[in-house]
Amino acid sequence: MTISEQVAPFVRAFRTAPGISDEPEWLCAHRDASIRHFAATGFPTRSAESWRFTDLRPLTASPILPAPDAVPNASERALADPPPSDPPPSELSVPTHRIILVNGRFIPRLSRIGALPPGVWLGSTADTVKARPGLIAAAFDASEIVGSQPFAALNAAFFADGFVLALEPGAVLETPIEVIHLGRTDTPVAFHLRNAIIAGSGSRATVIESTEGSGPGWTNAVTAITVDADASLRHIRIQNDGSEAIHTALTRATLARGARYENFALTLGARLSRQDIQVALSGEGASVALNGAYLLRGEQEATFAPHVDHQAPGCRTDEVLKGVMQDHAHGVFLGTIAVRPGADQTDARQLNRNLLLSPWAHVDTKPELEILADDVKCSHGATVGSLDEAALFYLQARGLDETTARHMLIEAFAADVIDTAALGDILSAPLRRHLRDWLGQVGGAA
Amino acid sequence: MSNLLEIHDLRARTLGGRDILKGINLTIAPGEVHAIMGPNGAGKSTLSSVLAGKPGYEVTGGSVLYQGRDLLALPADARAREGIFLAFQYPVEIPGVNNTYFLRAALNAGRRHRGEPELDAAQFLKAVKEKLKLLDISSDLLQRPVNVGFSGGEKKRNEIFQMAMLEPRLAVLDETDSGLDIDALRVVSNGVNRLRDPQRAIVMITHYQRLLDYIVPDHVHVLSDGRIVASGDKTLAATLEQTGYAHLDSAAA
Amino acid sequence: MGFDLAMPDLAMPEAATPNPAVTVSADSAETPDTLESFVSAANEGYKYGFVTDIEADEAEPGLTEDTVRFISAKKGEPEWLLSWRLKAFQRWQQMSDPQWAKLKIAPIDFQGACYYSAPKQNAGPKSLDEVDPELLKTYEKLGIPLGERAALAGVAVDAVFDSVSVATTYKEKLGELGIIFCSFGEAVREHGDLVRKYLGSVVPQGDNFFAALNSAVFSDGSFVYVPPGVRCPMELSTYFRINAAKTGQFERTLLIADKGSHVSYLEGCTAPQRDENQLHAAVVELIALEDAEIKYSTVQNWYPGDAEGRGGIYNFVTKRGACRGDRAKISWAQVETGSAITWKYPSCLLEGDHSVGAFYSVAITNNRQQADTGTKMIHIGRNTSSTVISKGISAGRGQNTYRGQIKVMPKAEDARNFTQCDSLLIGKSCGAHTVPYIDVRNPTARVEHEATTSKISEDQMFYCQQRGLPQEDALSLIVNGFCKEVLKELPMEFAVEAQKLLAVSLEGSVG
Repeated sequence: MTISEQVAPFVRAFRTAPGISDEPEWLCAHRDASIRHFAATGFPTRSAESWRFTDLRPLTASPILPAPDAVPNASERALADPPPSDPPPSELSVPTHRIILVNGRFIPRLSRIGALPPGVWLGSTADTVKARPGLIAAAFDASEIVGSQPFAALNAAFFADGFVLALEPGAVLETPIEVIHLGRTDTPVAFHLRNAIIAGSGSRATVIESTEGSGPGWTNAVTAITVDADASLRHIRIQNDGSEAIHTALTRATLARGARYENFALTLGARLSRQDIQVALSGEGASVALNGAYLLRGEQEATFAPHVDHQAPGCRTDEVLKGVMQDHAHGVFLGTIAVRPGADQTDARQLNRNLLLSPWAHVDTKPELEILADDVKCSHGATVGSLDEAALFYLQARGLDETTARHMLIEAFAADVIDTAALGDILSAPLRRHLRDWLGQVGGAA
Repeated sequence: MSNLLEIHDLRARTLGGRDILKGINLTIAPGEVHAIMGPNGAGKSTLSSVLAGKPGYEVTGGSVLYQGRDLLALPADARAREGIFLAFQYPVEIPGVNNTYFLRAALNAGRRHRGEPELDAAQFLKAVKEKLKLLDISSDLLQRPVNVGFSGGEKKRNEIFQMAMLEPRLAVLDETDSGLDIDALRVVSNGVNRLRDPQRAIVMITHYQRLLDYIVPDHVHVLSDGRIVASGDKTLAATLEQTGYAHLDSAAA
Repeated sequence: MGFDLAMPDLAMPEAATPNPAVTVSADSAETPDTLESFVSAANEGYKYGFVTDIEADEAEPGLTEDTVRFISAKKGEPEWLLSWRLKAFQRWQQMSDPQWAKLKIAPIDFQGACYYSAPKQNAGPKSLDEVDPELLKTYEKLGIPLGERAALAGVAVDAVFDSVSVATTYKEKLGELGIIFCSFGEAVREHGDLVRKYLGSVVPQGDNFFAALNSAVFSDGSFVYVPPGVRCPMELSTYFRINAAKTGQFERTLLIADKGSHVSYLEGCTAPQRDENQLHAAVVELIALEDAEIKYSTVQNWYPGDAEGRGGIYNFVTKRGACRGDRAKISWAQVETGSAITWKYPSCLLEGDHSVGAFYSVAITNNRQQADTGTKMIHIGRNTSSTVISKGISAGRGQNTYRGQIKVMPKAEDARNFTQCDSLLIGKSCGAHTVPYIDVRNPTARVEHEATTSKISEDQMFYCQQRGLPQEDALSLIVNGFCKEVLKELPMEFAVEAQKLLAVSLEGSVG
């Protein structure tokens, strides 16, 4: 298929989408530029270094266009399937501010945003475009680059909704924000979510996102994050989409002086998924922690691609990603830590560890360092292996059956990164729960 | 006999930092053992670093004459070849560099400088054996990389062994007693005592009086806030033991 | 074989040696500062390569099927080899030079080059007096014997250094054991069956752009065959055939260790070689049969260009070994200090069960040198194991990339790999990059990769200086310590010279 054949349906869908003209002029222009960009590039191909390990055919074989209800200005009434009448259960054991999206649209009826402290804005992206267009513009400034990756361009062209959190300097939000996206569709349609988190200097917040659903939907999220001086943001993403789903997500974060960003990504669902996290440490003494795990089975293919750019001196990166591959699953880790000239006293560690649990499972890992400053401490490591037979035997010798013993070791392997992330009991609990659920589903097959 | 080292009104600070040495005066003759004591932050380690020429410090005033020549004009390695030895408080690890190989390179650098023939491997090993015997140190450290994986005591013993091999004119022992248990302290002290020599001066920098029970100094100086605030014989150390540094601080103020 | 050796994005070519002139098209919009120098150096090459009337011993510039036929005819090759070359040429025409390495390379005009030129007795300087004094100074520092200095500097060798007779002496001794060690051309004539059987069996003609080019136009090189059960009693070295080394920039080496045999091969020499050629694209193929062991050591010190990056060799090498029998073992050791651009990935195909691959590398880039080097370990048989130790040192404005691939195929039960790559940075303007690719398709594999990047600590420098070592000695000592795990893999006499070479290569990088 040529690029023009590939992109034509998307361009057509864009031209015929209703309601885009109701938006601010700059946003319309931006959407227009984005679809042009996508039209010029098409989908990534395996000849591009950062895409060579990912088989995108499930996504590109036939065009997956935006869901009819997930285009700008579509109303809730237009939903093909009515959303569930009851809100999904909370991930956390404590009260949260909740935003529920269904098929790419904010559903106020299911959501619950409590009283927010002064200086905090939390709302759907569509609402924010109307009420606080300046916030959206700021998020676009921070995240949009000409030549950005094709999925981000497609997202910019089509996004309808998402969430926006903005904290003014000094604002502290103790109550976690919970964002749940439910994808429910019988047909292959796309949900382009556009999110933004703007943490003013000295502010603090926690966001826990999760996605789940059923059917062959394609969730394509772009999240723009700025963490200003000495601000601190915790961000957890649990991707638990249905087994037919496709999930692509790009998170871009820019950290100012002394800022702290902690990201934990747990990947469980979707037949094909890719998570790009791009962090720019642009202010002195900023620090980022990127931790996570991908637990894959069946024919799943997942790529985790974190890129950290040390632009300023005295910054720190701690990165631990663990993969567990079962059945025919294929896990890919593409990590890069770049240290620019002058970014002295950089302290960066990157570790990717993988467990292969079946003769057909496959892992590619490429932890990359790109160092252009001399006063740095950088290390990376990668391991691939299977369960320790000696440990397995030890547990069995103490009377555990093989399945239980295996589960125990796999859980220990994956839970280790949850401990490393040191998120506290409340935030760790859902991660552990998902891990245990996953183990319960895979059974004890070798 | 003329003095080995003459320090006049020496002032120094870390690069771009605040003044640490604020006018040190000290004269050392060959054969003497001096102890410099003082509380943390007094400038003891700065003094040893400045004498050895460690980068990161700047001298803002005063002078240091070593064997009648301007010591501060020499780079660190030239000072070492002229016979100044610093026993480091925290000897650095140098992976992959064999301890014996390193020492032979250092020894021969000094010999070349003095116009003496270099020692070949056999001669060098012979010298090593003699010194090991003298110091009652076992040879187990010699085949390992420089200081890599050494315990605190091993590192300090290794420093004294290097001192014995390099035969300096002026040895500065920077907190050589820190981190040593009583047995290790005894071994190290015995080593130093055997290296006392009419041609060699030794400067011990220490926080505690304990070391001076093993290596008895001719002179004791108290360093406080960048100045020598008291000097005396070994009894000064005993007095300090009873009165503490606070007393001297207030006396100096 | 059930997988694609070319691996489009990671074709990782390899090769190194000398011959005719290469020019560079100057039409690039953003002209790197090396370009001018490249062109002028290439023109100088022309000076040596051509006289006004083109002699019969030289091919017309440019590369066509006729050029390939001309080369083959000049060398009096059999028909099979000509068609082998032509097939390579056809493949090459359909390829483009790879862009994936972290290298800035001025575009190379392959059609402007001359692909065959018989060695000229009068091309080089006539005596040491005519040789660049800087080069001679380096030889002195390295302790190269006087006679050899002339040879290395390109002074007509026979008059000064009787390498031919030396080589002959060894050849007779080796012959008694049935070991064949000769030029590639001679091997084609005398041992055609062996050459035909193994040539291209590890690096196929179309493996990558530079390997294809080499396969089409290779000039000469070395051939080694060690018969079953024979342990080669000495290190085989290209050192003994300095004359032969002058024969081409497209060198071809083929080394076969038959069952249970053992051979250690040394390539290159520790002194920088005078060489007017800019582009080197060699191919080295190793075949280790059952229980055989090959150790291949390289010290590469081609001219790196001057401090501003003018001149210098472009070194594109395809080196690959196949452990073709059970328990076969191939070990690569390399010290790469020369060349403006180094691009090589000595690799092992671990086909036999229990076969073992190793790669030990030191790469230094100083001034404006660029190196993109590493290895591929392809685990195919059961219980195969590999070890990779890479030490990269960047100084000046040098850029140093480790690029390595560990691949464990589905049938490679119980494969083991350990990789350690450490980078050392000296100065603020250099770069160190680590690009490992790990691809595992068997759950019984155990693959571990570790990497660190650090600078030489001021504390280490001061410690050494406090013991009386001058700054440059201190640096050299610390760097040698950093490289120790690799240097100890080199044959003894090589290791000593390599240590000196490290010191020479880093001159001017501190202070």
